[in-house]
Amino acid sequence: MSAVQQRGSLTQVELAGVTGLSPATVSNIVKELTGAGVLATAPTSRSGRRAQQVTLARNLGLVGGIHFGSRSLRVTIADVAQRIVADQRMPLPPDHRADAGLERASLLLTELVDSVGATMSEVLAVGVGVPAPVDPRSGRIVSVGVLRGWDGVSVPEVLERRLGVPVQVDNDSNLGALAELRHGAARGKQHVAYLKVSHGVGSGLIVDGRVFHGRTGAAGEFGHITIDDNGPICRCGNRGCLDALIGAPALLRMLESSHGHLTLSDVIAGAQDGDPGCRRVISDAGRLLAVAAANTCNLFDPELVVVGGRLAEAGPILLDTFRSVLAQRTLPSTAGPVEVVVSELGTAAEVRGALALALDHAGIAQSMAVAG
Amino acid sequence: MSSAPGAPVLSVRGVSLNYGAVRALVDVDLDIHAHEVVAIVGDIGAGKSTLARVMSGALTPDTGHIEVDGTPVTMPSTRAARDLGIAAVFQDLALAENLDVVQNLFLGQELRRGGILDERRMERRAWEVLSQLAARVPSVRAPVRALSGGQRQAVAVARTLVGDPRVVVLDEPLASLGISQTAEVLNMVERLRESGLGVVMISHSMVDVQAVADRIVVLRLGRINGDFDAEHASYEDLIAAITGITPTGRAARPSRPATL
Repeated sequence: MSAVQQRGSLTQVELAGVTGLSPATVSNIVKELTGAGVLATAPTSRSGRRAQQVTLARNLGLVGGIHFGSRSLRVTIADVAQRIVADQRMPLPPDHRADAGLERASLLLTELVDSVGATMSEVLAVGVGVPAPVDPRSGRIVSVGVLRGWDGVSVPEVLERRLGVPVQVDNDSNLGALAELRHGAARGKQHVAYLKVSHGVGSGLIVDGRVFHGRTGAAGEFGHITIDDNGPICRCGNRGCLDALIGAPALLRMLESSHGHLTLSDVIAGAQDGDPGCRRVISDAGRLLAVAAANTCNLFDPELVVVGGRLAEAGPILLDTFRSVLAQRTLPSTAGPVEVVVSELGTAAEVRGALALALDHAGIAQSMAVAG
Repeated sequence: MSSAPGAPVLSVRGVSLNYGAVRALVDVDLDIHAHEVVAIVGDIGAGKSTLARVMSGALTPDTGHIEVDGTPVTMPSTRAARDLGIAAVFQDLALAENLDVVQNLFLGQELRRGGILDERRMERRAWEVLSQLAARVPSVRAPVRALSGGQRQAVAVARTLVGDPRVVVLDEPLASLGISQTAEVLNMVERLRESGLGVVMISHSMVDVQAVADRIVVLRLGRINGDFDAEHASYEDLIAAITGITPTGRAARPSRPATL
């Protein structure tokens, strides 16, 4: 099953190679699962011989999720039962442009749909997450300078014309929050603050069980809370924003003179291997993150704080300082300090949220829930 | 683990090479460190592939030399370069279409036990190197002709890893690949870097180069016309260096700080 899920579609012979099972066993398993409606087979040819192409069964169509990070793109295809049928990520250049990025995302989505043996007509809706505030009504990016090269771009307008399917867009941290609420660490909660600490810093707020957008979708722009009045100028034009202090460029710059050119993955791996410089940088980031989060908690009093994004992979190195500084700086409560957990969905949270957004739009999630 | 500035693994020192009257490389100096992706970009005929071939022993320079760990070496063949820890994948990939993945990986470097081929150990090692690259190859017993472009590229890179190299030179690894295959190759380049290898990537796709490179070296008419920190170099800076709008000379534009 997971072999088919990982690769989207493959022939029975290949399936035998991947799983190490004998072709006869694979054939039996496939037959059984096809009978149960989990897999679908179609005749095809492989190197001139007849073969059985095996894919996951799709009854009600597909949805696509696209997540643009500051330095990466991830595209995932799922069926309406939330089963992921194809998934691909790729690195993006710094300051990637909207036109090139959206073109790549459409191509990648089309190729992935093709790779599971489907056509674009089976795609019901596509959800997109971008690391900048988005007006959920118009789908337009409302910030100036936060995501260079994307100011004022209307993602649905470009993608709907390109793909011919309805497209919904939201801020990626909002989608991360949505995914944690639906499938992750925040299931069953009403008030949640989701903090995304990756290349950039952002947050998504769940209030009364729904994503809170504010006037133009800029609610939860956590990365642009002022931390240091005399700090460096941020790309948004203000001074000493959290993002300018603990975003990946800032962390990497701190290590440049001692460690040379690093990537964010290097810093996390280094911290886990006990490199003192990398550990210090991440634990200091945890402290500043907590200063900003304490303000958020004092304002919203959430039941749960979920820490996600790449830096959450550093685990206790980030969270130990985060928890203690957060407890120190929030209003003491008889209920005790707010619960802090690591994201359950990890770096897939944002793209899972994009899928959830697409599903909501397709209106299938509800009818499925009724039927199921 | 970390890319401490440290000593370079592979150095090109004052290399020039002429094809008749054509000056393909003119006095090129270049250092490659461990745990670093160096992209070499430039116009057609800038000398990118020639430089890749010099670095991997496929061409011998007219003047200048190659150093490995600071010691001058002679590399009369790609085999000699491989023995020194420098492996290359050229554009043609040089895979045997009718052989399967394992046979291709170990072609000419078969593992033997008591004189006979040790198929089981080769197959296990094949899965090892492929998973090191997170390569999605359906079967190591599939003939290479049945694989997609991206999968072939993965097999060609995996073949270099069998010899535990320290530097891998990739000549145009993204040429004529679809977008999801491009994604796989770029992810693979990241994996190579994470496992501590120096990677030299020749490409003319600026977007892809900026996505994975630590440094971007611009060649123009056989000379180095810029050595950029990929994090801070803009697309415009690179195009200017490629097309010769900036004055020639390697210190043409030192990397500038990110803020202000």
